[in-house]
Formats: sequence, C-alpha cells, structure tokens
Amino acid sequence: MRFPFSILSVFLLTITASADVRSNLEPFLEQHCYDCHDDFDNEGDLNLLDLKFDPNDPRNLAIWKDVFVRVEDGEMPPKKKKRPEAGAMAAFLKSLEKPLMDTELEDLKKNGRVHSRRLTREEYQYSMEDLLGIDIPLDDYLTAESSEGFDNKAEAQQLSHFHLNGYLSAAGAALDEAFSRALEGDEKFNKVYSAGTLAAKRGRGNPRGPQFIEGKTIAWRSSVLFYGRMARTAVPKDGWYRVTVNNLQAINPGPDGVVWGRIQTGYGLSSDPLLDDVSLIEATAEPQTKTFLTWMKEDHILLLSPVEGARKAARLGNGGSVRYNGWELREKGYDGISFTGMTIERVYPHATRVEVREKLFDNLAEKKLRTEIGDPKKELRRLIKRFASIAFRRPAQDSDLAPYFALANAQLKKTGNFPSALKVAYHAVLSSPHFLTLIEKPGKLDDHALASRLSYFLWKSVPDWRLRKLAREGTLSDPAVLRSETARLLAHPKSERFIKSFTDQWLELREIDFTQPDPKRFRDFDPALQISMVEETRAFITELIKKDLSVKNFLKSDFSFLNTRLKNHYGLTNLWIKPGGGLQKVKLKPKQRSGLLTQGSILKVTADGSATSPILRGVWINERILGHHIPPPPPNIPAVEPDIRGAVSIRDQLAKHSTQTSCASCHVKIDPPGFALESYDPIGNYRVSYGVKKTSAKVDPSGETTDGTAFDDYEGWRNIYLDRSEILARAFAKQVLEFSTGGEIHFSDRVVLDRIVLESGKTDHGLKSIIQSCVSSPIFQTK
Amino acid sequence: MHISTGKSLSRRTVLKQAGIALGLPFLDAMNPAFGASTPLRKKRFVGVSLSLGLHNPFLVPKDSGASYTPSQYLKSLQDIRDSFTVISGTSHPGVKGGHTSESSIFSACPHEKGSSNKNTISLDQLMAKHQGHETRFPSLVMNTAQESSPSYTESGSMVPAMNDPRKLFASLFIDDTAEAKKRQKEIARGGQSIMDIVRAEAKQLEREVGPGDRDKLDEWFTSVRELEQRLEANEAWANKPKPKVGKMPTLPDRDSAPDIARAFLDTMFLALQSDSTRFMTLHCTGNSVRSLEGVDESYHSLSHHGRSEEKLGQLAIVEQATIDRWADFLRKLKEAELLDDTMVMLTSNLGNASSHDNRNMPVLFGGGGFKHGQHLAFSQTNNYPLPNLYLSMLQNIGMEAEAFATSSGTMKGLV
Repeated sequence: MRFPFSILSVFLLTITASADVRSNLEPFLEQHCYDCHDDFDNEGDLNLLDLKFDPNDPRNLAIWKDVFVRVEDGEMPPKKKKRPEAGAMAAFLKSLEKPLMDTELEDLKKNGRVHSRRLTREEYQYSMEDLLGIDIPLDDYLTAESSEGFDNKAEAQQLSHFHLNGYLSAAGAALDEAFSRALEGDEKFNKVYSAGTLAAKRGRGNPRGPQFIEGKTIAWRSSVLFYGRMARTAVPKDGWYRVTVNNLQAINPGPDGVVWGRIQTGYGLSSDPLLDDVSLIEATAEPQTKTFLTWMKEDHILLLSPVEGARKAARLGNGGSVRYNGWELREKGYDGISFTGMTIERVYPHATRVEVREKLFDNLAEKKLRTEIGDPKKELRRLIKRFASIAFRRPAQDSDLAPYFALANAQLKKTGNFPSALKVAYHAVLSSPHFLTLIEKPGKLDDHALASRLSYFLWKSVPDWRLRKLAREGTLSDPAVLRSETARLLAHPKSERFIKSFTDQWLELREIDFTQPDPKRFRDFDPALQISMVEETRAFITELIKKDLSVKNFLKSDFSFLNTRLKNHYGLTNLWIKPGGGLQKVKLKPKQRSGLLTQGSILKVTADGSATSPILRGVWINERILGHHIPPPPPNIPAVEPDIRGAVSIRDQLAKHSTQTSCASCHVKIDPPGFALESYDPIGNYRVSYGVKKTSAKVDPSGETTDGTAFDDYEGWRNIYLDRSEILARAFAKQVLEFSTGGEIHFSDRVVLDRIVLESGKTDHGLKSIIQSCVSSPIFQTK
Repeated sequence: MHISTGKSLSRRTVLKQAGIALGLPFLDAMNPAFGASTPLRKKRFVGVSLSLGLHNPFLVPKDSGASYTPSQYLKSLQDIRDSFTVISGTSHPGVKGGHTSESSIFSACPHEKGSSNKNTISLDQLMAKHQGHETRFPSLVMNTAQESSPSYTESGSMVPAMNDPRKLFASLFIDDTAEAKKRQKEIARGGQSIMDIVRAEAKQLEREVGPGDRDKLDEWFTSVRELEQRLEANEAWANKPKPKVGKMPTLPDRDSAPDIARAFLDTMFLALQSDSTRFMTLHCTGNSVRSLEGVDESYHSLSHHGRSEEKLGQLAIVEQATIDRWADFLRKLKEAELLDDTMVMLTSNLGNASSHDNRNMPVLFGGGGFKHGQHLAFSQTNNYPLPNLYLSMLQNIGMEAEAFATSSGTMKGLV
C-alpha cells in the first residue's frame, strides 16, 4: 500500500462515521429484515444482523447497495410480509443512500470511474483505416475480445503479451500495405466473365458450378454442399473487389415474386469450408444488374445460389460434381437465379492512393521521396510529430518523441532510405500505450481526452482534424460546441460504425448464429430470413436514432423495415412490399406486430434454437430494455431443463419458482416479460400452442408485473410499460453511457440518470436526445 | 469480417506466423532441452474440453467402484478400462453462468459477488509456467473451431488458441525457409527496439496517472517483459531444426466435429512423442456434425434436445464419436509407453447442456500413473470439488502445491 498520509486520514474519518451509519439503519433492519436475514436463517446467504458497514471493502458496499436497491424497488421485504410505512422506508433509504454515495464519490474522484482501457479489435481496425487510409482487415492478427458485456468494458479487458504481439504484427501489416500503396502504386485487376465462363467446367465433370443454358448462367436451389461455385472467379491477390452481376433474374419465383439467394466468397471446398457472406440476392422476374463490394483472399472464389429453406432442393450430385441431365429443373418448378456474366474489379474503398500518401508523407512530393530530401532528419521529426499527434490524440512534444526520432535516425543511417526510417518510427508510434490505450487523469476530462471519448463513441476511431482543432483551442468542452459536434459526428456516415457496433452488442445480434433452429421443425428458417431479421433491427435502431424517435418504439411502433420474407414471416398479409426492393420502410398498424421486441432477430437471440424459455427472454428484457440487473441463479439451483415434446408447458415446469421464496424474489421480475413473449416461437413465428397436435399444450402469455399489475398477453404487458417510458429511457441511457465510456454504471450515478431522463423527456425520450443528454452529463465528461 | 487461411507466404503471413511461434520458452532457461537427458521423468498433461457437455445419463455408470458396469458411452472403451477413471458428481465450486463458465474449465475460478470477473491462471498454464521452459513450446493451446480457449495466464488473460490443424502441424514440425527465418529475426530485433520505447513510455505514464490505473500499467510492464523474452527466445529457436515426424496427418472432414478433434489429437500425440511440449489444452467447439452417419442437425441444436428421443439419439452418435476419438488418443499413448507419464482429461463446463447447468461436470481421466479402472462416484446433489483433481495433477508433476483455486485437498480414491 502506497497511500499518502492525507488519504489515510480520510479513511479514518470515514470509518468513525460508519458506526453511526449502522446504528441509523438498525430500527428498520430489526423490524423488517432480521426475520429472515439474521445469523440463524441467513436467507439468500445474507446475514444483515452481523453485517458491518465498511466503506473500505467494495464487497461490503456492494451488498449494502443491493439492499438499498431491493428495498427501494419494493422487492424487499417480500410481499407476504408486513409492508413498511412509507415514512420509515424513506428514512431508511435516506440514511443508507448518503454514506453509500459519499464513499463512492470519494473513490471515483480519486481513481476515476473508468480505468484506462485499450483499443478493441474493432476500434483498432477503424483507427488504422483513418490513420493510414488502408482497408485490409487486421482482425486475424489481434486477440479476440472477451465476450461479457460491451467489448470495450475496461474492467473486463485483458492485456497480455499475446495482445502486444498482435498489435505489433497488425501494425506491421498495415504499414506494409500503406507504404506499398504510397510508393509502389495500387494493384490493378479488372476482368469480365461471360455467362459461359462462369458455368465452365474444369477438368472432368462440373465442380458444383451453375448451369449454362441459352446464354445464361443459372444457379438452382440444390442440396449439394458448396453448390454454386464459380471456379473461374478466383482472384489473384487479397483485396477488396467490386463485383457486378448482370441481369440477375428469378426462375420460378415464389408467391412473394422473389427467388432468394446468396452470394458468398471463400474456397468452397470441404477441406476449407469457411465462407463469408457477400450479400443477399432478391432475384425477381424483372432482370436487375447489381453491384456488391467484398473482401476476397487470394484464390478465393465466388459462390451464388438460391437459399430458400422451404423450397424444394435438387440433389444434383454426390461428392465433388453435379449433373444436370434429366432434371428439367425449370419445368419441375425448382428455384433458379439466372444472370448474364459479371465483372470483378479491384478497388480501394477507403482512400485513394493520393490520400494514403498524404497521410504518410504530408506534402512531400513523390519525386522528392525517391531522390533527395534536403534535411531528412528535420523532415523525419516533422512527420513523426505530426503522425504521433494524431495517433496519440493530443499534441506530441519534441521531448517526448526523442526515442522515436532516434529510432528513425538509426534506421536512416543504416539504410539511407527515408521511407523505411519513417516507417519504423510509425511502427513504434502504433505500438505505444499512448495510441493503444485511452488513458486519462482522474477528474474532469481535458479537451483532448474529451475529443477522444466522443470520437471513439460515435466513430470508433481517432478524432478528426476538426475535433483536434477544437480541443487545441480549448472550446470543445463548451456545452454548445459539444452539442453541435455530437450532432455533426452522428450525422456523418462514419456514425454507422457506432450504430452497428452498439446495436449488435446491446441487442446481442452478434449471437444470431449461435443456435441453429431444427430444420425439420422450422423449415422456413434459412439464411435469407436470418440476414433480413438482423438488417431489419439495425435499420430500425438507426431510424430511431437519426429521427430522434421515442424509446416507446421498443415496444410499439407504427413503422418498420421489411422485405417480402419478413412480411410473410410476420403474417402481415395485407401489406404491400415491392418484390426485390430490399428492406423498405413501411407503415404498420400499431395493433399489428410492431416495435423492437417482437422483431425476429430479438425473438431468435433470446431462444435456444429449438425451444423458448421465459427465463432467458425475461432476463434479457430486464437487463437490456428495462435496466434491471438480474444476478445469475445461485450455484446449487438447477435450471429448468427444456422439454419440447409438447405435453408439458414451460409454465407448468416453472410453477415452483413462484412458490419458493428464494426463487420468487428474482423470478417475480424475470418471468413476466418472458411469459408475455411466449406467444412467439424460437424464430419469431406467432403461436397459440406448443405443437400442432390436439394434445399440445396451449400458450399462456398472461401474468402480472412485479407491482401486481395483471396482463393477458404481450400487448397487455407492453401497454403497462408504454405508460412508464421513463424506465425504458433510463435503461437506454445506461447502455449508452457504458458503451461510450467503457465504464460501468455506479450507484452514485442515479442522480445523473434522473436528470438525463428528465431532460430527454422533453422529446418524449427520443434516442438522439438521450444520447445528447448522456454526452452533456458529468458521467461522460469525467474520467 | 473473418478471414480464413492464406496460401501464399506473403510478408504478412510471415509476420503472423511469427506471432504463432511466440509461445516459446525463455532463452536463459532453454539449455536443459539441449543438454544431457535429465534423470527426472517428464510429466505431461493434456486437457480436452467440450463446449457442449456430455449427456449425463448416457455417460455415468449406474454403479461405482472398480467393478462398475460400463455405461452406454463407455462400452467401447473396455479394452483400456484399466487406463482411465470415470468421475461423476464433481464440479467447480461457485462456478456458474452456463456457456460463459467455459473460461473456468481449467482455472476453476469462482464468480464472486461484488468483484470483477477476473479469471485466475489455468492448470495447464500454471504447469507450463514452472516446467514449460524445457521444451520448444512451453504449452500449446488449441481450439477445434474458434479463437477462444479455457487457458488463462497469471494476469487473467485468455491465451488465444490455434484453430487450424495445418498451421499447428507446420509450427511444430516444418522448418521455415531461410528467408522466413531471416524475416523472423528482423521482426524479433525490430520488436525489441520498439518494446524499449514502449516500456519507457509506460514507466512515464505510471507517474502521471491516478492510482486506479496502476494495475493496468502493471499489466503493460508484464506484457512488455514477456514479449521481449519471447522475441528473444524466438530468435534463438529459429536456428534449431524442428523434429521430423513424417507426413502431416490427413485433413479431416470439416462437417464432422469429432474428426476435426481427431486431427488435432493426432498432431498432439506427435508433439508429445517428439517432446515439443508437455502441456496442452484442446477446446472442442465445432458445431457441424452432419457428415456423421445418422445425424442431420447441428451439434448445438442437438445439445438442446428438450428430451426429444430423436434428438437424444443423434446427440449420442456425436458424443460417442468424440469419446471414441479421445480413447484412441489414450490407446496411442499407451502403445508408445507415454501414458503413465501423461495425464489426459476429458471434461466440459456443462453438466447438462440442455439446461446450461454447470454442476455434475462430465469427467474422464486417464494415465499419469494413477489408480484407474474405476468409477469414482460423488454425490450428484452435493458435488465434490473438481479442483481437488487439479491439485492431484499438480502434485503428480512434482509441484509442491497445497491448493488450486477452491480445492479442499487432493482427490480421494486416485492413489
């Protein structure tokens, strides 16, 4: 322990005061708590009788905070016990709240609310794209992030030599790419493929490729693995490619006027089966030429095929090749997608070569780099300082940069090569903790740290020149400036990075693939539906943020973004959706399925693929939508084992939860939203029973909320919370604050959260308003 | 975006492979490996873990002791009955959280109230820390499909897993080209001069930041030091020829998760036989099993069988295949007379994958010179601590440990 004397004395003071805290709480505890929570009963492993109030022990404080929250929520004392008088309860809460707040605030003041954190894989990628103008994916070099909570959560982040080595290698690869583009030029590739080439045979037989008929390439719906391979499309080098497919057209479109297909890239071989999705394809009777952008590795090819699960699939062959003879696929009604050739072109989507050169060498002309630079050491110093000031996110000083200058000079002396000297210094800059970690001093953030926080929140990358300028001038922290900068960053296309990263993590959309619905029970579940579900939710949240629409839309909304697949999945038969038009914003009647929670993506990620569980869904909604943290079940309580045989309903299995006190205290919160959503199966179909047989158990979506308000079904449940949208706003603000700071919400934040909810209430709790209120709050602006 | 494998040896690939090769021992501790053979017996540990459990009623024999009647899953293992023990009714105290408890499989780190979920060192890494320096790789950490692993460093950082059997084989047994070696040396030297700067900056930062951040900076110092040591060792090892073991094992069918596990186990056997490493974990996370006869669903979906007989039937095919591959590995070790010095474990964080229950973890434990050929049955309702087995294993390799995680002693019934 290295505490200076002054801190020690503060501790002593607090400890003296803590005995008083305990005695103030005594009457209430004695009257309402000790019955169950004493040394004898020790219910829920909690003995309040002997629990001291110890401001120096975080675990002790955590227990008292828990006590506070449970009493405040009315969860404790439990319903069947005598209710405390309002006055006594208020007094108890008040005498507990103050010391809890005081100790916490003191700790936060000293240590900061969020400890320094390193860049996540995603933030690293975007930062390198913006710093160097490169667009190669660097994920492969870096260690995967841990999976609990947001991936930038400082407390959960790990750092080891594996991470450092990853950063070192990734920076090397990124710099190789940038310097090679700047000095040697871009790779060129532009190739036109005729319809015949794409279906062409290689050696004997057709290696699972499409058919060639009457000048068209046709890929059919087939059960053969890796069907739709176009072997000739192999690309010569790793890179981004623009793929233009001519005259995509449906053969035997389904009732929605579309043949759903997918274009993918990879080797397409069983020895190397990983494929990346390039895009969904919605082929219609009307031919359409479409362009797709995709990263491809050397020798990777493109694969295109129809994917609709409910449509019949032709077993065109066994093993490595397919045969079309005798199938009469068109006549027999198989789904097909035809096209008339394609173009594949190498592109650099992120920056032009000139921009890359400018990022590396500023205004030094190319010719100069090749010939002679008057004072190379001086130029090295200037460029390193310029680059480091951007990467370190604050103006770098010559004195701090001396080791970098020395490194560059040594390399220059050794090789006589100016770019290589610069490169080695940049490599060091990109390996520095000043770049790799967001590290601040306790207290209010200075303008540079504020610029970083804002930029990593909304763009997931280093601050741009304007933010840097405002920080240098010291005006960024001006409330009006900060507000308009937040609006500027949100309006910029780079804010898609934030929305996608935030939405995917907050709503667990990254887990969409974690379970695979049983293909026999869910025949209509297929990649087209899964991809559409996720895109619907991202589009929906984007709209809520951009248009500043209310959090009430989580529960009920008069619009969504649908394509024909989703429309049919949701049973919205009377809605008009243009076939082949992609996701379209449509008006919905609020009575219909609408709002975030009944979107397919949410219903799927909260189920296990084969069965739904009101507990999983209930916990998910509590944690992510209502803002109630649900602790994991005690270690010795077995979870309910799902039974999908159909005879017993999950409610019967769960009955004992509400009868045993130790279970009921949490399940009274968990179960209600889970029960309400039982009307939706694991892939989001509406249902009234757990099977199709007469003996199948009926779904019972009714229940009552914690405070005893009864509801008959999901609609009833959502109506209760539509009247309490401040709960949703508060929960959303917590998510935004955790994501934007990398910190956790603390007990003492309750006051700030109250203010955010109040402030954003002026716009009916619009999402953008909540984001603005969060940014202007001390939580966001303090380390 | 996920990128799979590259074929050409571009500069980037070389850089990346340098990363793989970093699991190397410290230079100063390397000499014993090249010196005269030590009189001590080399003890080894191989932990195979499954992310989806094993169906308890099919695995656990009805009766206990040496005369147990083989359960459905153990019938095919009767030829090596005397080489392993089936252990039931054990789990890690205080570990919960369903799938997320994967991180505790080999660390047994409990989730405590009011503390952040920082993991503690895993069994294999603790062993490697003390004895790993004698081999080319202090430890090998592998996953059949993903990047994650249940192996954790002392600072609670996950050790990233190798998940490509070809790269694994290449890093163990295929010598790099002269050009690649030269490049690796360059990287090692370049990396070291960069690390000098990084260390100095972290030092300076430590003076500037608040007390709350000092832990974080300590992690920086540790990481820098370890990376430097490994870069240095890497440079030295680059000159030593790798052992020759013949051709690479055949590539597995990608749609059979148990066969991918076998491809790893085949290479892991060679790694033990050539004494390239002594401590390994393999986490099996593959989900595609449809090329197994009689299976047409994904593994994860089958694990949520919901008591449907059809699903349980398919699940049994997958799990039996996995157990049989593990048993084959045991047979090979036995034949090569390595089994008595090699402890081989098969377990999972899930005792019941259908309900995500972390109690009653499945445990098969073979080799290491312990008393085997029995069913050690502990209480299914009041589990015995599995960390006790880990403590037994630590002592088996000669470490003077008195506890591991939440252990209450060494495991009963194994000696």
